[in-house]
Amino acid sequence: MKKLLALLLTSSMLVSLAACGGGGAAQGGSTAQPAGSTAQTAETTEPAGTDTKVDEANLTATQKIIQEAQGMSLEELAAKAIEESNGKMFYGVGNSSRGKSALPLFISYLQTIDPSYTMEFEWQQPKNNKIFDQLTADSLKDTGTFAMTLIQDGNQIQSKMVQPGILDTFIPKDWAEANGTTPDAYKGYLPLQTLNKVFEYNNTGSKTYDNVWDFVAEGEHGLFMDIDSEIVGKNFLYMLTRDDYAAWMKEAFEALSDDEKAYFQPVITEMETDAADLMLGPDAAYSLAWIKLWVESYNAQTDDGPICSTLVDASATDQFGLLVYSKLRSVEESATVSVNNINVAAYDDGYEGIGGYGYCHYLFVTDNSPLPWTACAFIAYMTCTADGFSAWGKDMGGYSSNPKVLAENEEIYHHMTGGMAEDGTTVQFAAKNDRGYEWWTTDGKLVLEDPEYCASVAFTVGSWIEMLTKYSAE
Amino acid sequence: MEQSSKKKAGKFTIMRNKVATYLSKPYNVILLLMGIVLSFTTIAPIIAIVEDTFKIHPGTIDAHLTGQSSGYSVVNYVDLFTSRMAKSNLWTPLLNTVYLAVGTCIVSILFGGIVAFLITRTDLAWKKYISSIFIFPYIMPQWTLAVVWQHLFNSNKITGTSNGLLASLFGINMPIWWCKGLFPSLVVLGLHYAPFAYILIGGIFRNMDANLEEAATILDTPKWRIMARITLPMVKPAILSTILLVFGSAMGSYPVPHYLGLTTLSTKYVSMNSKYTGEASILAIIMMIFGVAIMLLNQLSLTSRKSYTTVTGKSGQISKIRLGRAGRCIIALVLVFLTFFTSIFPIVSFGFETFLPNPGDYSFLYTGDFSNLTTKWWVTAENITENGMYGQMGILYNKTIWNAFKGTLLVSIACSLLAGTIGTLVGYAVSKNRRDKWTNYVNSVAFLPYLMPSIAVGVAYFILFSNKYVNLFNTYTLLIIVGTVKYIPFASRSSLNSMLQLSNEIEESAIILNVPWIKRMTRIIIPIQKSSIISGYLLPFMTCLRELSLFMLLCVQGFILSTTLDYFDEMGLYAFSSGINLILIVTILIFNAIVNKVTGASLDKGIGG
Repeated sequence: MKKLLALLLTSSMLVSLAACGGGGAAQGGSTAQPAGSTAQTAETTEPAGTDTKVDEANLTATQKIIQEAQGMSLEELAAKAIEESNGKMFYGVGNSSRGKSALPLFISYLQTIDPSYTMEFEWQQPKNNKIFDQLTADSLKDTGTFAMTLIQDGNQIQSKMVQPGILDTFIPKDWAEANGTTPDAYKGYLPLQTLNKVFEYNNTGSKTYDNVWDFVAEGEHGLFMDIDSEIVGKNFLYMLTRDDYAAWMKEAFEALSDDEKAYFQPVITEMETDAADLMLGPDAAYSLAWIKLWVESYNAQTDDGPICSTLVDASATDQFGLLVYSKLRSVEESATVSVNNINVAAYDDGYEGIGGYGYCHYLFVTDNSPLPWTACAFIAYMTCTADGFSAWGKDMGGYSSNPKVLAENEEIYHHMTGGMAEDGTTVQFAAKNDRGYEWWTTDGKLVLEDPEYCASVAFTVGSWIEMLTKYSAE
Repeated sequence: MEQSSKKKAGKFTIMRNKVATYLSKPYNVILLLMGIVLSFTTIAPIIAIVEDTFKIHPGTIDAHLTGQSSGYSVVNYVDLFTSRMAKSNLWTPLLNTVYLAVGTCIVSILFGGIVAFLITRTDLAWKKYISSIFIFPYIMPQWTLAVVWQHLFNSNKITGTSNGLLASLFGINMPIWWCKGLFPSLVVLGLHYAPFAYILIGGIFRNMDANLEEAATILDTPKWRIMARITLPMVKPAILSTILLVFGSAMGSYPVPHYLGLTTLSTKYVSMNSKYTGEASILAIIMMIFGVAIMLLNQLSLTSRKSYTTVTGKSGQISKIRLGRAGRCIIALVLVFLTFFTSIFPIVSFGFETFLPNPGDYSFLYTGDFSNLTTKWWVTAENITENGMYGQMGILYNKTIWNAFKGTLLVSIACSLLAGTIGTLVGYAVSKNRRDKWTNYVNSVAFLPYLMPSIAVGVAYFILFSNKYVNLFNTYTLLIIVGTVKYIPFASRSSLNSMLQLSNEIEESAIILNVPWIKRMTRIIIPIQKSSIISGYLLPFMTCLRELSLFMLLCVQGFILSTTLDYFDEMGLYAFSSGINLILIVTILIFNAIVNKVTGASLDKGIGG
């Protein structure tokens, strides 16, 4: 025992010593990313991980099923699912808890075809990025536990899930048609929806936030999920350094008063060297300055739920956060808690700069799926029908990647007027009038996650961000 | 030729006889078997995690730096120790972890030790109540106290959140060092582990020979000198034991520093795991090295304990210090007040939380309007996302919660039975043959997992059992194996301490009468020391019931109650987490009451009886 321990300690020391002469950085990581993230316009560019054509003879059993399934309508897939999973147990895992709400609807749909159909299910929503560990661990089994997944963070999906062959993309025929393409032509991942995280602030005080730079002004500490616990937050920061979004940051800066500019300018100037070192575009210094000030000031929280609960409380005067828009739906009005205690910054007249960021939930079949046909049918059901999407569609701030479903969903749930009183004319909760995907991605200046770009800067801008000293209220 | 073959045969016979003689003693068989099994269960995970530090993980920093997607490299060590991020990824968390562990030890020893002294050595009032209520923080999951702390002390002005109860009701804004970081973390963990100190130190106070103190009093020695030169040295072994138990536990605690905003090795492990997987494993190894160091310190302290053999338990005379008529009540009142906040208030707060319309929304208190309360968290019977239910059914109908509860009971009972039985056997076998090197090895290897931080043990087992040959991820089997290995020390220490109190003559007389070993154990040894042995079963059960750090990497949410509870807490759905807390507390109290009724043993009698 002692010898073994001594050996372990010695090898650790040797390794530390080896550090002195080691470590030339080499290029690596993923270089290209899929196109699915910009869901509303289905792209047909070549995604990462699929740049070498898969030899059909080398397809795994699940991939063969997927290939066949991609030529089928939802009804045909449903028949296959009934045959495969009747009376069985279905496990799904995802970053969204709503999968749990969607599965009973899917079962009901299958029961309209075969009333005797039954399926037990369990839906898991891991935290702290554990979904990747879970799927990796599960992938080592011959037949996995999880049939499919609904997962976010295109950057990690590419490098940890798709490249090692853990997850397979299935593109439903109906979804592809709705997007004006075909399953074979579409080369990205399959997004279920784009979600937005938006700047919201408590309005019970006198403070207003009319420029995105106000959120990083002196003494401000926005509530935000820690970027190490929810990586899409880090992806948002990566995205800010892309040329188009950096230009938005510069534009917002220029709209500031001279006093405000004078406060931020030294940081921007300081960032110019870093931007050059990181080989970023001409306006990136503005983004880097904002990122630096944000990382060094945000007040890390465990989840968007507690952030929302905090902001809608009357006592959270002048506090603000960057959180999932849909959380507002779950607020119950009480004496001190109200949706009317908050403003969505981007909805304010004269607001300058980005309104928040958007990221996708992608759908995949696990390569060792115990129920691949059922997984495909479930995925098709969620992406091709309003009922299937209703678990998410009920809420504002989640926009289907299927244009038909998106329109149908608005017809059913009227999110654009979701904050109106029953008379239909009085504004009851202004913050709940969702202006929709089109508005958010144009006027609302939503920063959209692009997995390819995120992957390309993950170890440059990413490492730079990690060097920043995070705000600690200690 | 014939002679040499005879010689060989003779040697063989001697060897065979030696082996037969060795194995004829049941405790040797136990030592041999346990030594082999425990070596595997302790060392194999360590090897697995060491291997992981050299492995290249796709999509992480090692793959980026080496330009490879598989294979082995020392790049993780190089990067962790020498990169520009060494301070933030390694040294600061390491320092915070040490501060936290040391601070927790101090708080738990001071609080637990003083209460133990007051209960056992003075005529304090309401002892029974204080003694029972004092162990409550240990029953509750450790981070629930952290959540209660936040609900009490957070304020808009200081923490930049909504106001907690103190700020809302009285306008008091506690300073930031009180609300977040090291101080609240070590206080919360210290309160959580104070029952350890209470049980261990109290055990010695209860049994210590008062003749020494009385002799000093007769010789007119000042009271402070008696305390410093006699009383404290007597409880030194118990203090060392508390440090042993608490240091490693505090070091491996993930949820408390996570909720209270302190960066430690555990929290850093979790945050680094996605992009710096191999480097995170090195952090786990560093935590393990601390565990090993503590074990070595323990060996040293065991040697020095030889000079404290005055703790014999033979004296029936324990002099009680008189606190005075007012003093005994005032001190008791202070303790009742303190334990109210550590034990009663959290439970009341959990109860209330399950009736609030929004998490932390105490509108009914400020307005006096009880219509601001709701029963939706309990009785909602449909799957809805409105009104803050997030697609969850009420607690009474929530299958996830009740399935997790069943899973937790299964794991806890299995771990308790296995760890209790194995630990008792190890304790018995070790007590019979203390000077043997193999015995000491078995004793150490059985105790080592407890000294290793829980999260590091969890990581090691996750890596060991998540491969293509054996994949036990998210199975009860894995949780039971890990829980058993981790909690054997509860039973082995308890059993060893009690077995050492037993004279060999008792068993020897039974041997002379040809009483078989099983009968000797079940009819003589176990009945005599049943209280200690049962606590060796009860502690693993109770600890398993609310363990998170150990299990969080080994299963998914909803698999057991603690991961489900943590999930709801992180999501900010405090009504569900509070409801689960109540379920856990009630379960533990029911089991404790049953065991107490049936056997006379109880939790507050604790380790070592």
